[in-house]
Amino acid sequence: MDTPQTLKIAGELLTGLAKNAAYPEESRLDITLEPRDLQEAVGKLAAARWGYLATITGLDQLAAGQLEILYHFCAGAAILTLRISVPRSPIPTIDSICSVFPYASIYERELGEMLGVIVTHTPNTARLFLADGWPNDVYPLRKDAVLEIRQE
Amino acid sequence: MNTVPERFVVPIGPQHPALKEPGHFEFTVDGEQVTAASVRLGYAHRGIEKATEGRNWVQNLYLLERICGICSHIHATAYCLGVEKLAGVTAPPRAQAIRVVVAELERIHSHLLWLGVAAHEAGFDTLFMYSWRDRETVMDILEALTGNRVNYSANLLGGVKFDMTPELQDMILKGLEFLEQRTHDYVAVVTTDATLLQRTRGVGVTSREQVEELGLIGPTARASGALRDLRVESPYAAYADFPIVPVTATEGDLEARFVVRLKELFESYRLIRLILEKLPEGELQARMPRKIKPAETISRVEAPRGELFYFIKSNGTDQPERIKVRTPTLCNLASVCILAVGSQLADVPMILAGVDPCFSCNDRAVSIHSTKLGEKQWTWAQLRQYGIDYYRR
Amino acid sequence: MDTIRDLVTLFFFPGGLFVLALGMSYEWVDRKLMARVQNRVGPRWFQPFADIAKLLTKEEVIPLDGNGLLFLGLPIVALAGALTSALYVPVAGWHPAYSFQGDLIVALYLLSLLTLCTGLAGANTSDHFSLVGATRTLTQLFSYEAPFLLAMLGPAVMAHTWQINEIIADADGRWMLFLQPIGFIVALIGLLGKLEMSPFNAPEAETEIVAGALTEYSGRGLALFRLGRHVELVIGLTMVAAFYMGGVNGLPMFVLKTLILLLGLVGIQSLVARLRIDQTVGLWWRWGSLLVLAQWLVLVVWEGVQA
Repeated sequence: MDTPQTLKIAGELLTGLAKNAAYPEESRLDITLEPRDLQEAVGKLAAARWGYLATITGLDQLAAGQLEILYHFCAGAAILTLRISVPRSPIPTIDSICSVFPYASIYERELGEMLGVIVTHTPNTARLFLADGWPNDVYPLRKDAVLEIRQE
Repeated sequence: MNTVPERFVVPIGPQHPALKEPGHFEFTVDGEQVTAASVRLGYAHRGIEKATEGRNWVQNLYLLERICGICSHIHATAYCLGVEKLAGVTAPPRAQAIRVVVAELERIHSHLLWLGVAAHEAGFDTLFMYSWRDRETVMDILEALTGNRVNYSANLLGGVKFDMTPELQDMILKGLEFLEQRTHDYVAVVTTDATLLQRTRGVGVTSREQVEELGLIGPTARASGALRDLRVESPYAAYADFPIVPVTATEGDLEARFVVRLKELFESYRLIRLILEKLPEGELQARMPRKIKPAETISRVEAPRGELFYFIKSNGTDQPERIKVRTPTLCNLASVCILAVGSQLADVPMILAGVDPCFSCNDRAVSIHSTKLGEKQWTWAQLRQYGIDYYRR
Repeated sequence: MDTIRDLVTLFFFPGGLFVLALGMSYEWVDRKLMARVQNRVGPRWFQPFADIAKLLTKEEVIPLDGNGLLFLGLPIVALAGALTSALYVPVAGWHPAYSFQGDLIVALYLLSLLTLCTGLAGANTSDHFSLVGATRTLTQLFSYEAPFLLAMLGPAVMAHTWQINEIIADADGRWMLFLQPIGFIVALIGLLGKLEMSPFNAPEAETEIVAGALTEYSGRGLALFRLGRHVELVIGLTMVAAFYMGGVNGLPMFVLKTLILLLGLVGIQSLVARLRIDQTVGLWWRWGSLLVLAQWLVLVVWEGVQA
């Protein structure tokens, strides 16, 4: 199956849920979702056995006051990106997709540590990357993070 | 009386002979049986993802190349291909071919290194010594090509740094001949040596379904019969012109992972010879703009350990807005904890080595921005002084 | 006069210092041969001496948990056991310094003392690597000990005596290795197990449990354990060579035969991967014991027919 065909199938799977769909490159499909639809969309992909979760990227859209979270799914050369936005303040919260893709846990932990997104229902929230002495309220990948050496 | 049995935890890491890099695993054992496993990363966390946001596109090339010492070229390739895509520039065919040659040489070096490490984990030190000795051949080739044994720095944005002279080609071909002959011996050893087979055959079996469930990639997935090889699925650089024949196995155990990685070496030898024979003529570098208009792209390449995933976002300046790196080990690491449960403690290092973990790759992102000390960068002497003061208290 | 002779025997020759020096020399030969087989340069001749000298000067860290007295005492007992057993075997081709009926059993058990002490030393700390290592050491001890003992008793049965120098006198010139090939192989491989050499080095598998039972040991304690191991290497080689390879009359014969044996050990070591502890136990009880028992059956029947 060629790449545009694969992407088309993914697009059709998610037609009811997509707020917006775009093909930024030949091999890529970006679908914008409401956060509440994420579970359903991911469930549909898993049920259709469409690709695997490559990673989760968090983007800090400081100007818009939003955190954008990108779920990248890959099937062969085709890349499907599910984009959801959550407000930066007071506490950005999304729901875990670990019930569908258990191996998302590692990426969700990274997201929580680096961008301070609270991922509800994720099985494990223990520190994975940052040092034990790292302050709890500093999220290094946020654009306005103040990073300083702590005198312990 | 009702007592809860005490958990007997065998820690592996952060410093442990089984790990060549720092990571921390905790295996709860009942006798010799592993009953639970957990992982903690971050001991080699250097803040590279954050650091890229404060550097320009060219500086980042050298920074990202240093994510990993073993697969540095592939990191640079993924980054270059991504940035070139953003800028709408295509590197000339000769440059793309040279990139692939270096990438395959790096794969040879990485797989031979892995063979040695895995043999050492199995307590087979003779194989370890021999494979590392032979690895020197490919290290010498890489040094002659690029001037470095690690962090080759072969890539430039828009091309490559050096040309392939006839003398270099001769040297590569001679080295490959030796290595090919040695690889035949290694295949014979790992498929027939009785004691090694006791440690590999049927150990850490990963089924085709588990590959899907755990999201495994690279040689680990290919050893379980899943064709996940981006050089075939989504040919980048010169792989479209010089296609590769993927190597897979169906058993999914450690022996299959040995065999898949070794057979991939033959494929690399063949491909390098083919490219050297039909090396396209032409320029080595295309011109790159300094600033790149706002856009996003995803660049995926096949590192020695599996799919390497780069998400790159530009914002119209000469610096990136965000670079996200997902290395293959991160995907495969989840499988270690799951496969380890129920296995023998003695098999754990083997299972761990089976996915060829690279912790430096995993751990990336936090730069030292000091506001209190008023300086952004420290000299070595200052850093040293800080360390001395810190421990004096 | 006798007192002086005894003291010399105990402290200088053939016991004491001489055995220690010999042990370190053989350790060097082992390491050097191993390195050459693996295409490495290997250590220089004084490396084991330097290692021990360095360890002896280092601080000995005594863990807070576990019995400190035991921690200090076990290495001494282990080395003493190994050194004592040297008095009953024909080290360097000389006659055993002391001899009595049944010294074979005593010597073999003095050798096992080292392994036992290693296991106890591991169990005496709360370090998890040590505990797992101790379990493995003792498990392995119980698996190879019986077959190894039976293999060493084979020549004794043929000589109708339990006294080492009588067995050697009986075996002199008769290459038991051809008469009892199974016993010889079991003894040789048992020696690998006793010395915790590959493939039976699961008790100190560095990639799993760091240094096994001796993880907590440093400085003097570690040096003594290692010296004990070196001495055991020499004594093990001496006994197998004397029993199975037609005796060790005189220094040249001793050096030649033990070095040939050591070469065999190095060959096995360098060609195999490490066995898991369950595989080790399985191997010994499924094959080692059965084979050596079969050999015993043949021996007993043969002796019966002769008598």
